Amino acid sequence: MSHDDIQHHVKTYIKVFMALMFFTLLTVYASYVDFDLAPELKAGAIFVGLFIATVKGTLVATQFMHLNNEKKIIYWVLGLTIVFFTVCLSIPVLWDSNLVGDTNFEQSPPKIEGGHH
Amino acid sequence: MSSQDHHEESFISKYIFSQDHKWIGIQYGITSLLFLLFGFALMMVMRWQLAYPDTVIPLVGWMFEDGMLSPDMYNSFGAMHGTIMIFLGVVPMVVGAFGNYLVPLQIGAPDMAFPKLNMASYWAYFIGGVVMFASFFMEGGAAASGWTMYPPLSVIAENGETVWLVGMIFLITSSLLGSMNIIVTIVQLRAEGLTWGRLPFFVWAQFVTSFLLVLAFPPLEAAGILQLMDRLVGTSFFLPSGLVVGGEVLNVSGGGSPLLWQHLFWFLAHPEVYVLVLPAMGVVAEIIANNTRKPLWGYNSLVFAVVWLGFMSFIVWAHHMFLTGMGQGMSVFFQTTTMIISIPSVIILSALFITLWGGKIRFNTPMLFALAFLPMFGIGGLTGLPLGLAPTDIHLHDTYYVIGHFHYVVAPGTIFAIFAGIYFWFPKITGKKLNEGLGKIHFFFSLIFINGVFMPMFIQGLAGVSRRLADGGVSYAHAAGVLQWNEFMSMSAWLLGLAQIPFIINFFMTIFKKVDGVADPNPWQSTTMEWTNTTSPPLGHGNFETAPVVHRGPYEYSIEGASEDFIPQTQK
Amino acid sequence: MQIPYNEELRPDTGLYNAKLGIWIFLASEIMLFGGLFSAYIMLRVGAPVWPPLGTAQLNIPMATFNTVVLITSSVTMVMAWASLKMNNFGKFKMYMGLTLLFSAMFLVVKYFEYSAKLSHGFTPAHDTFLAIYYTMTGLHVIHIIGGMIVNGYLWMPGSKMWESNPVRFTNRIEVAGLYWHFVDLVWIFLFPSLYLL
Repeated sequence: MSHDDIQHHVKTYIKVFMALMFFTLLTVYASYVDFDLAPELKAGAIFVGLFIATVKGTLVATQFMHLNNEKKIIYWVLGLTIVFFTVCLSIPVLWDSNLVGDTNFEQSPPKIEGGHH
Repeated sequence: MSSQDHHEESFISKYIFSQDHKWIGIQYGITSLLFLLFGFALMMVMRWQLAYPDTVIPLVGWMFEDGMLSPDMYNSFGAMHGTIMIFLGVVPMVVGAFGNYLVPLQIGAPDMAFPKLNMASYWAYFIGGVVMFASFFMEGGAAASGWTMYPPLSVIAENGETVWLVGMIFLITSSLLGSMNIIVTIVQLRAEGLTWGRLPFFVWAQFVTSFLLVLAFPPLEAAGILQLMDRLVGTSFFLPSGLVVGGEVLNVSGGGSPLLWQHLFWFLAHPEVYVLVLPAMGVVAEIIANNTRKPLWGYNSLVFAVVWLGFMSFIVWAHHMFLTGMGQGMSVFFQTTTMIISIPSVIILSALFITLWGGKIRFNTPMLFALAFLPMFGIGGLTGLPLGLAPTDIHLHDTYYVIGHFHYVVAPGTIFAIFAGIYFWFPKITGKKLNEGLGKIHFFFSLIFINGVFMPMFIQGLAGVSRRLADGGVSYAHAAGVLQWNEFMSMSAWLLGLAQIPFIINFFMTIFKKVDGVADPNPWQSTTMEWTNTTSPPLGHGNFETAPVVHRGPYEYSIEGASEDFIPQTQK
Repeated sequence: MQIPYNEELRPDTGLYNAKLGIWIFLASEIMLFGGLFSAYIMLRVGAPVWPPLGTAQLNIPMATFNTVVLITSSVTMVMAWASLKMNNFGKFKMYMGLTLLFSAMFLVVKYFEYSAKLSHGFTPAHDTFLAIYYTMTGLHVIHIIGGMIVNGYLWMPGSKMWESNPVRFTNRIEVAGLYWHFVDLVWIFLFPSLYLL
C-alpha cells in the first residue's frame, strides 16, 4: 500500500471513530425509549439495540479489520463460521418454542412428600 | 521461523521442546499410545466387575478398597475411560501424531506454518493429560459423571469433575492451536504444482477435521467455563430452580437449565466423533490405494463427501437428546439431518470398496487392518440408523446398543485404522518395516476378539440393559436373559489385551533392530511425497533439500506405458 | 528450506501465513462467545421473569465510558499499524503505548465496577443474570489482558524485529490489531446485550 493510500485510510479511521462515538451515544439513548413492541419481551428495544450494535460492528470489521477488501479464503472461513454461529444461537431459542411439556425449567419447587424423596 | 538452524541444538530444544513437526508428531504418538493403553487397562478392570460382580480383582485388586471396584469407582473408571480414549488417545493420535508428521511431508512443506505454536500445542496436551491422570490420585478421585458430564450430577458431585474441567481447558487449547496450524499449513505451504485437486485424500481429511475442531470445540469450552463457575463459584447455569438433593432443596439461585449443558456439549461432541473417524478414513484410503496398485475410485466424490460430512456434522447433535422432551418439529429436523449425514459416509465407504475391484491386492499387515476397517465401520454406521430415528431411539437410548454402536466405529474402526497407519508409516519414521508375521497374528486375534467384545452389546442393548450400570444389569429382571454375555465379553476383552502383546514386542524389537546399509526410502512403492525423501528425515533441517515441484495427481498407480506400476507425484 | 510466506504474500491466496492464522483463531473465538451468547439467550428465554427479581442494576455510565475507551484503543491500534506502513517507528511507539494505556483504563473501570457490585453482595451466585454478566464480561477481561500482554511484548522487546525484518514486524502488528479489534467487537455486542436490553 502506498503512502497516499495509507493517508487516505487514516482519514477514514478518524471518520469511523466519530461515527462509532455517535452510535454509542445513540444506542444508550435508544435504550431508554419505550418502543412498545411486545413490551414483556422488550422485543422493540432488543431489535433496535442489536441493529445499532451490528452497524457499529460492521464499521469495525470492514474499516479497522479491513474486511471490505479481504481475500476469498477469509470470506469463506468467516461465512462458514457465521452459519454455525447462527445455528448455535438459534437452536436453544427455537427449542424452547417446540417442547413436549410447558417448559424446560421447573420453576416452582416440587412438593416433597413424607420423609423420603 | 527457520527450520534450518545449522548450529548444534541442545538436547532440550531438539527433543523436549522441539519445533520440528516430525518429532512433535512422534511425541504425540508415544504419549497417545500410552494413554490408549491406560484407557484400555481401565476397561479391563471394569469388565472384571461386570463379569464377576463383587469379587476380588486379580493382579490389581490390591489397589482398591476390599480388592473390588466400588460402584463409585466403577463410574469413575467409566467416565475416565471415555475421556482418556477420546481426548487423550484417539484424537491426539490421528490428528496430533499422524496429522503433524505426515501433512507437511505430503504437501512438500518444510514444516508446519507455525512451529512454535505446534510445540505449544503438544505441551498443552501433555499438561492436560497429566491433569486428567492426576485426578485419580486427588481427593475425591477422578470425575465420575460420565465423559458427558451431565449436570446437575456433575455440578453437585464431590468427585474430580473440577479437575476434569481444568484438564479439558488445556486439551481444548491444544486442539485449537493444532488445528489452526494444520489449516494454515495446508492452505499456504502446498508445494508448487500441488493444486487442491492433487492433494492426497489423507490431507483433505485432515483439512476438514481441523475445521471441525476449530469451530466446534469453543462452545464446549464455554460450557466448561460455565460448569466450573457452577462448581466453584456457586452459580446456577445448569441447576434448575427447586433442585432437591438428598431430600433438601439445594441452596442456589436456580433458574438454570441442565439442557443448556447438553446443547453446548453435544454441539462439540457430535463433530468430535467425526474428528475421530475422518482422519482414519484418510489413512485407510492411502493404504488401500497403495496396496491395490490402483488410483482411488471416485476422488472427486470422496472429496465432496468428506466436505459435506464435515458440514452436516454441525447440524445433527440433538439426536443425542431425543429423550429430553423435544417437540416434534425439532425431532423431525434432527432425524432428517441425521439420516442425510449417512449418505456421504456411504459414498466414502463405497468408493473405497469399489477401489478394490480389479486391483492387484497385496495383503500385508497395514492392508489387512485397512480392509477390516471397511466392514467394521460399516457395522458401526448401520447400527447407528435405529439410534438416529427417534421412535427406535426411545427404546435404545442409554442402553448397551449405543455402546456397541459407537465402539464399532471407533475401536475396530478408527483404532484399526491407527494400527494400519502405524504399520504403514513405521518404515518412513524408523527405516525398518515391522515384522509381518507378528503383525498378522496381532491383526487376526484383534479382529476376532474385538468383535467378541462388542457384538453381544447389541443383544444386551436390545434387551434393554442400560449403560453405566456398575453391577452389569444384575439387579434388573429384564436383563436376566442376556447377562451371560457379560462373561463372554469380558473374556474377549482380556484376550484382546493379550492380542496386543505381539504388537508391543514387534514395536520395540523393530526399533532396536540393527540394519545394514541404507534403508529403502519407499518400501511400499508409494506415489505420495512423504516417500520421496530419506527415511527418518533428519530433524530441524526442513524436509526437502530443495522445494519439491508436483507434476501429477496423488494416485498414479498402474499407469499404462509407465516403466513401473507407480509414478511419484513429483516425477515429471 | 525456510518456511515461506511469513513476509511475502502467497500468490494464489494473496495472504501471508499469520493473517490466515489469526482469522481462523478469531473464527474459533466467534464460536466461543457464541456459545456464551447462546447460554445467555437460553437462560433469558426460559426465565419466568427477566431481569430476575432482586438483581443488581448495572452501571450504564461506567460501561458507556468503557465503550468509548475501548473503541478509542481500537483506533490507536490501527493507527499504530498505519504508522509502520508509513515507515514511522516513532509514531508506532506512541500509538501502541496509547493503546496499552486505554486498555489499562478499561481494566481499572471494570475493577471498580466489579468491586462495587461484589461489596454489596451481588455475587455471580446471586442469580442467573449476574452469573452470565460476570462470566461474559470476565472472559472478555481475560481476553483484554491477553491482548495487553501481546501488545506489550510487541511494544517493547518484540519491537526489535523492526530493525531486522520490518515487513514481518508490520505483519505482526496487523495481526495483533485484528485480535484487538475483535475484542472491541465483542464488547460492542456485550454492552447493549447485558447493560441496555
